[in-house]
Amino acid sequence: MPPPEDSSQPRLAAGCRWGAENRGTENKPGNEEERVILFPEGAIKLQGTGRQVLERCDGQRTFAQIIAELQAKFADADPVKIRSDISQFLEQLRHKRIVDY
Amino acid sequence: MIPNPLALIAEITHRCPLHCVYCSNPLELAAVSSELSTAEWIDVLQQAGKLGMLHAHFTGGEPLARPDLVELIAAARAAGLYTNLITSGIGLAEPRLKALVDAGLDHIQISFQDSREDSANWIAGTKAHAHKIELSRIVRRYKIAFTVNLVIHRQNIDHLEEMISFIEQLAPERMEIAHTQYYGWALQNRAALLPTRVQLERAVEIVAAAEKRLAGRIRVDSVVPDYYGRYPKACMGGWGRRLMLINPAGKVLPCHAAEIIPDLTFENVREQTLEFIWQQSPSFQRFRGEEWMPEPCRSCDRRAEDFGGCRCQALLLAVDAAATDPACSLAPAHYIVEAALAEANSSAAVSQPAPASSFVQLQRQARDLWSYRTNPE
Repeated sequence: MPPPEDSSQPRLAAGCRWGAENRGTENKPGNEEERVILFPEGAIKLQGTGRQVLERCDGQRTFAQIIAELQAKFADADPVKIRSDISQFLEQLRHKRIVDY
Repeated sequence: MIPNPLALIAEITHRCPLHCVYCSNPLELAAVSSELSTAEWIDVLQQAGKLGMLHAHFTGGEPLARPDLVELIAAARAAGLYTNLITSGIGLAEPRLKALVDAGLDHIQISFQDSREDSANWIAGTKAHAHKIELSRIVRRYKIAFTVNLVIHRQNIDHLEEMISFIEQLAPERMEIAHTQYYGWALQNRAALLPTRVQLERAVEIVAAAEKRLAGRIRVDSVVPDYYGRYPKACMGGWGRRLMLINPAGKVLPCHAAEIIPDLTFENVREQTLEFIWQQSPSFQRFRGEEWMPEPCRSCDRRAEDFGGCRCQALLLAVDAAATDPACSLAPAHYIVEAALAEANSSAAVSQPAPASSFVQLQRQARDLWSYRTNPE
């Protein structure tokens, strides 16, 4: 299955959703808040960039838009690397059937 | 401080319209009259949420046999849990499915016994196959996760490719190809179910190829056959480490089969809270950590990976729940598993019955081959 294209609209796969707040997370004062995505037989904790990416996978934004938003948000980081990292991340999550695009 | 459990396995009833010969339910099924009430289950689900659990797996028996299932799913969802229904699908038509989804069902897992109708019905001891196909089509109209589970064994493993193509057509997000685990009814029927080494090796290749081919479309998860493994499975992710199971009568167990361990006493949710049981009950403590481990586990590099394997299998095969799992090639009692394998691979082994042209004919042949799971009183 190929990586997302610019026009792809990534979204959480059927039956995958964000967990209720503070559920399954270990938020300590000073840390960026973790959130958890629940899916069949598992859960992943997300914070930082991973969380930023998946919160934008709403089935509305295109892959190109998500990249642009995060490149703007993390202006210090290499934009090419941001793109390839996010592409890989979404492809991996697709293989786990957590994300569709 | 013991970390919180991650998931609750709610065995809400042992009643089941199927009689699968590989069923891992205990031979002593919980009586219908002993089942927890709706209010008792709701209370337990709320406790599970407060304990920080993430998933609630509704299973049985057949969970659909409980008329209050919609209420229980709603209660689990309200308690913040991800809800999974593990079912044969018998007893589910579209209106009830819709009610379950509306109540917050996240994931449905439907079991199939085979791709071939006669054989599937023969393994299940009842005519369920056609309904399951019909139901799978209806499931795809709803936005929930869908897993197809297939238990494989000596009688169906030779057409695994055909079964995988069959599942593919049902278009689930996930397929689970599970080798039979030998507990309960499956252990009783082991001679008819344990595959040969040749069958197994072929199956491993087929699953690996399917995994690759279906990547990004259908996730393939497989349950390995521990009898043929070099090391045991990390049963339940370790005793009392991740999961709590509540049986239909409210007994709280670290795994599906634990009740068979004779020197353990299990608390009941009617008398104790889940939190107390998780943190303090002697039964959950008994095989936690490494203190209990015998050699060769105690000094083994893998002890934090497989936790010595399965306590129930140790009891069933080596007659000592504190022994190294006999599935482990390093276990003193491994010869017991080797003997079973030798038998399965010998020419005198129970083979597949001659091809039968009908379910009725298959059923007639089955009489000497295996015993079907019965139903609780």
